[in-house]
Amino acid sequence: MSYQEKNITVAMVSHLLILAYYFFNLFPIIQSGDWVANRLYALWLVVIVATILVTIIGSILTNIILSIVEAIRSRKYEDPRFITDERDHLIELKGIRIEYITYSIGVLSSILAFIFGQPPLLMISTIFAFGILAEIAGDIAKITLYRRGL
Amino acid sequence: MEKRQVRNNIRKLRFQNNEMTQEQLAEKVGVTRQTIIALEGGKYAPSLELAFRISLAFGVPLQEVFSYEPEGAEK
Repeated sequence: MSYQEKNITVAMVSHLLILAYYFFNLFPIIQSGDWVANRLYALWLVVIVATILVTIIGSILTNIILSIVEAIRSRKYEDPRFITDERDHLIELKGIRIEYITYSIGVLSSILAFIFGQPPLLMISTIFAFGILAEIAGDIAKITLYRRGL
Repeated sequence: MEKRQVRNNIRKLRFQNNEMTQEQLAEKVGVTRQTIIALEGGKYAPSLELAFRISLAFGVPLQEVFSYEPEGAEK
């Protein structure tokens, strides 16, 4: 597994955890039908901040841990070659395309739900959920492309 | 229009160049080893710049490394 694959896997696991946390807190609200704006605002804020922090911290930690593992494995310290090349950029772009498609479907379905009489807070909650789902779909697409060889 | 694909002789040229490893070639042309693996497997067509860098690394003209052949044609 290459450095990029490990990095994407860490990001995907983080996104899955954030999505699980989001649904764990959102489902009781949906079931009770008690759409309290303040509770949802707090949840959205936590999810946005967690996504940003986890993405940055996860990337830094993965770099550090992989450097340490590489140094231990080769029994000497040298700058690890964590470079990205044109193929990585191409895979990144393809991943982003999948993210945009997933997110667009999410936004469209949220708007449709609103048109058919669902509360606006549900619409925005769905958009947030699809935001994280889009990240996960992008991560899966990227890992698949790395595994397949492109 | 006839379907064609980019093929290459990278593996052969590596062995002709003192059995150069994929890692050594990757370092020479500034890409990852995974990209060299994908190139050799015919799963990835490089940019023009990378193609030139690879031919320079072997010291041969571009057409000796890469060819553009009909899909499914045997080498």
